[in-house]
Amino acid sequence: MSNTVVRKTLVSLAVAGAAFAAQADVVIGVAGPHTGAYAAFGDQLWRGAEKAAMDINAKGGINGEMIKLIKADDACEPKQAVAVANRLVDSDEAVAVVGHFCSSSSIPASTIYEEAGVLMVTPGSTNPTLTDRGLPNVFRVCGRDDQQGDVAASYIVDELKAKRVAVLHDKDTYGKGLADATKAAMNAYGVKEVLYEGLTRGEKDFNALVTKIRSVDADVVYFGGLHSEAGPLVRQMREQGLTAKFISGDGIVSDEFVSVAGSPKYVDGVLMTFGADPTTYAAGKAVVEEFRASGVEPEGYVMYSYTAMQVVAAALGATDMDPVKAADWLHENSIDTVMGSKKFDDKGDLTVSDYVMYEWDKNGKYSMLYN
Amino acid sequence: MDIVLQQLVNGLTLGSVYGLIAIGYTMVYGIIGMINFAHGDVYMVSSYLTAIAIALLTFFGFESFPIIIFGTLIFTIIVTGAYGWVIERVAYRPLRNSSRLSILISAIGMSLILQNYVQISQGARQQGIPTLLSGAIRFEVGDGFVQITYMKLFILFAAFLGMGILTYIIQKTKLGRMCRATQQDRKMASILGINTDRIISSVFVIGAAMAALAGVLVTLDYGAFDFYVGFIIGIKAFTAAVLGGIGSLPGAMLGGLILGLSEALFAGLISSDYKDVFSFSLLVVILIFRPSGLLGKPEVEKV
Amino acid sequence: MNQQTGVNFGASIKDAVIAGLLALIVFGPIVGVLLDGYDFSARPGDLATIVAVVMFGRFVISIFVQSDVGRKFLYRHAMKEDGVTVTAPDYKSKMYYILPIVIVIGLLVPFVATKYILTVVILGLIYVLLGLGLNIVVGLAGLLDLGFVGFYAIGAYGLALGYEYLGLGFWSMLPIAAVMAAIAGAILGFPVLRMHGDYLAIVTLGFGEIIRLVLTNWTEFTHGPNGVSAPLPTLFGLEFQRRSREGTPFHEFFGLPFDSAYKYMFVYLILFVVVLAVLYVKHRLTRMPIGRAWEALREDEIACRSLGLNHVLVKLSAFMLGASTGGIAGVFFATYQGFVNPSSFTFFESALILAIVVLGGMGSTLGVVIAAFVLTVMPEMLREFADYRVLMFGILMVVMMIWKPRGLVRVTRKGFATRKGAVK
Repeated sequence: MSNTVVRKTLVSLAVAGAAFAAQADVVIGVAGPHTGAYAAFGDQLWRGAEKAAMDINAKGGINGEMIKLIKADDACEPKQAVAVANRLVDSDEAVAVVGHFCSSSSIPASTIYEEAGVLMVTPGSTNPTLTDRGLPNVFRVCGRDDQQGDVAASYIVDELKAKRVAVLHDKDTYGKGLADATKAAMNAYGVKEVLYEGLTRGEKDFNALVTKIRSVDADVVYFGGLHSEAGPLVRQMREQGLTAKFISGDGIVSDEFVSVAGSPKYVDGVLMTFGADPTTYAAGKAVVEEFRASGVEPEGYVMYSYTAMQVVAAALGATDMDPVKAADWLHENSIDTVMGSKKFDDKGDLTVSDYVMYEWDKNGKYSMLYN
Repeated sequence: MDIVLQQLVNGLTLGSVYGLIAIGYTMVYGIIGMINFAHGDVYMVSSYLTAIAIALLTFFGFESFPIIIFGTLIFTIIVTGAYGWVIERVAYRPLRNSSRLSILISAIGMSLILQNYVQISQGARQQGIPTLLSGAIRFEVGDGFVQITYMKLFILFAAFLGMGILTYIIQKTKLGRMCRATQQDRKMASILGINTDRIISSVFVIGAAMAALAGVLVTLDYGAFDFYVGFIIGIKAFTAAVLGGIGSLPGAMLGGLILGLSEALFAGLISSDYKDVFSFSLLVVILIFRPSGLLGKPEVEKV
Repeated sequence: MNQQTGVNFGASIKDAVIAGLLALIVFGPIVGVLLDGYDFSARPGDLATIVAVVMFGRFVISIFVQSDVGRKFLYRHAMKEDGVTVTAPDYKSKMYYILPIVIVIGLLVPFVATKYILTVVILGLIYVLLGLGLNIVVGLAGLLDLGFVGFYAIGAYGLALGYEYLGLGFWSMLPIAAVMAAIAGAILGFPVLRMHGDYLAIVTLGFGEIIRLVLTNWTEFTHGPNGVSAPLPTLFGLEFQRRSREGTPFHEFFGLPFDSAYKYMFVYLILFVVVLAVLYVKHRLTRMPIGRAWEALREDEIACRSLGLNHVLVKLSAFMLGASTGGIAGVFFATYQGFVNPSSFTFFESALILAIVVLGGMGSTLGVVIAAFVLTVMPEMLREFADYRVLMFGILMVVMMIWKPRGLVRVTRKGFATRKGAVK
């Protein structure tokens, strides 16, 4: 196929020309739901990555090459994720990608990155399947749902001593994966759930489900899903006089959870698992303060995204911009980031899971629970 | 027992909301025979308007619940009505004499426009409003209880009041007579001196106003919304309208209530995973036996 | 409109002011007040800009409409006649020259395009298939189907699940999926035979949703929202992965360096041939009795039945043929994406396919092809607009409908002439 040769030559000529003409840029994609129902998370990803890139560029870039970010929108739809991944790889010639956010987008996109030899570091996709498929180029700087589910389950069984647990999910890759992980871990600890049901993402009326939880007399409700559904759900539970403990995962980590629930009094006592507060690391103190000074609260995945960008930059810097070698390098070395030192295992997961329990208080703020 | 009663209450409130939105579908369908796919998003816009009205009113120092709710209702209904008018004028009137499918596509485009316009101007965040009216009545039933919040009672009351006022307007006033005349035969109505364009516009305004009422009530009750809420509730309301017989006002209300009740009971007693499957299957079964819906007039085919 | 010439500026200014007031009411709260938690901040600047734009736009339109050019434009716009264009009996379509060129260009595309463009074109061709399938149901038979995505899902999941449970590959699933989708079409077809117009629309919408909900909820079988991965087509047993599961992969067999573009080239070429085949079959069908029957039924069901047409058979055949095309498109979608999950089969997808059919011009094959490309390639081109992408897409949908309510390409029909000479 001579045309491929021609194309390759043209590309290399173009690259050489660009390098000759001016400062060569290293292109990194930031892929996530920048539009659509989950655009709030895409926003967090972008803010973190943008700041990280600015900071790295201010210190002279990666080995002198400036980072150029490309905003890639997948709207959390697999179809768009595939299209945008191909675009990043092909037209934008990105060497690495920070993203995607939704696991259902990350999984199909990761195959494309693998084929093109592009490094992928996701700040927020926690579904185990993503790394279990053994792709060498896929990393995540967040935990896995099974780790998260285990923390939640052991808390439910050991701390709350709950006997009647209702497990709910939002029928989505992330939410259901998390709920299943928690259910499995809980069953392993000898507690069987009394109710296991899904609700529909995008709806706001869960009264029927709440009444059903009441009918099974649950004393703990575990929900795998995002704050857009968790807020109305917890509110409707309280409004129907259901006082069961409400526990969820890292999908509700957003100040919007309080405003969606209608009042801080409804979220009072809600528990959730989340990585040890990303803003409390000593290494990231300066960055957190800079964020706050610019009027941006580094909530949710902002710091994760920052970290992902640091990981990408470190790996590319150590391997002379070769993303395939960078992936191998990441499997071997640990990286200092604003969230402490990170080390990856063979699959691309973090070696240390740092999930802890958080509790929301009556002022609508969350804080770590130290047991 | 208490659980079944509670589910009935849940279903009734949900159903009355479906009914209110279904009115918008059914009236527009009755008068120009189009499925107004943007209607769910008009409802979504009214949710935002509700929150904005509440924020503005609290900012100007109004604290008492009746004033806030009354002000919010008036503000939201007027502005949402304006949306109904503008949408009809811009996206549907130029297509008045085209095939019904062209208007359908235009409506789908309009629905995309509304969603994204709101997303761009208000951000993609989940939005919420503060709880204005809390507290609930609790009935002891056997060894259990049924708990109904004051807000839910208010919703039921306001929804049925709204439907009552609308029925009065359609049945007794001059505007209502003109609407019905236009619905029966647009050409004849215009020959008799009715400005049918204006009547069609006012039907869109009335439909939008009912969606606004639903928007205010739902937003006050659930307190949460985003730019995407119009979609699911729009489809459900459309289903309700067809279930009751599209084009028929009492049918829309009945369809809404049946859909709400069946969803709540199915979710509560069997499985919430499959509740939407159940509602759609119910619709199919009803339409097999009554192809024009419950209260719809059977289509007479003339040669 | 009275026949005065010249431009009445006073009236235009009045129009502009009224439009401005309306814009203030409509955009005022949503644009002018930005919600922030339970609080808000005012944005008078943005609001003023929008109102000014609306007023200016209305003013310009008002002036334009009053000018001679504008009046002519409006007149032409109002004079859109109905029905199909009938060409002269001896009219020769230019297609005979264009078609071979298009086919040659189509076959050359994968060798010149970049991978990204290739994937966009593949997606466009998949939507061509979907549009052609729905065109049979909506455009030709006149049955409004809002749940077409259901058949698409059956095809896509057919490939993924058939591979997982039965080990069937792309080539065996391609016909099987078409048959499966056709059977589903028949199952849907039976209960809806009695229904008309918009009742049909909501039942088909319900059908599409039911399929999606079952795929989501039946996790033991479909893995629910986690999705299933789908295999790639093979070239006589040669696989296109970097590392083959069995046997030698394609690039090693031919001693080429691995390039993921090969698999897209291959998928594209198969898809292109399939699209051509479907186009040909459809072209023939519309000229066969069954195709004529569809269109006759669309125009007047009672007349058809009184003439002895079996309306059950006619409607069912339209549903089944349309559905099987949708199923084939689903197989290609699954193999192209390598992974399917239920979120690809929402109602929006059905609406998009319907938009392709309507925008293309109901019943027109060429129109469907053009519209499918316009509607799939456009969102990708609009990526430059970033946040405004989907908004632009919606606006274009409305504008195109207003501009060309009968679609981009009008249906043409070859005229018949009475035969000259004596009958022997």
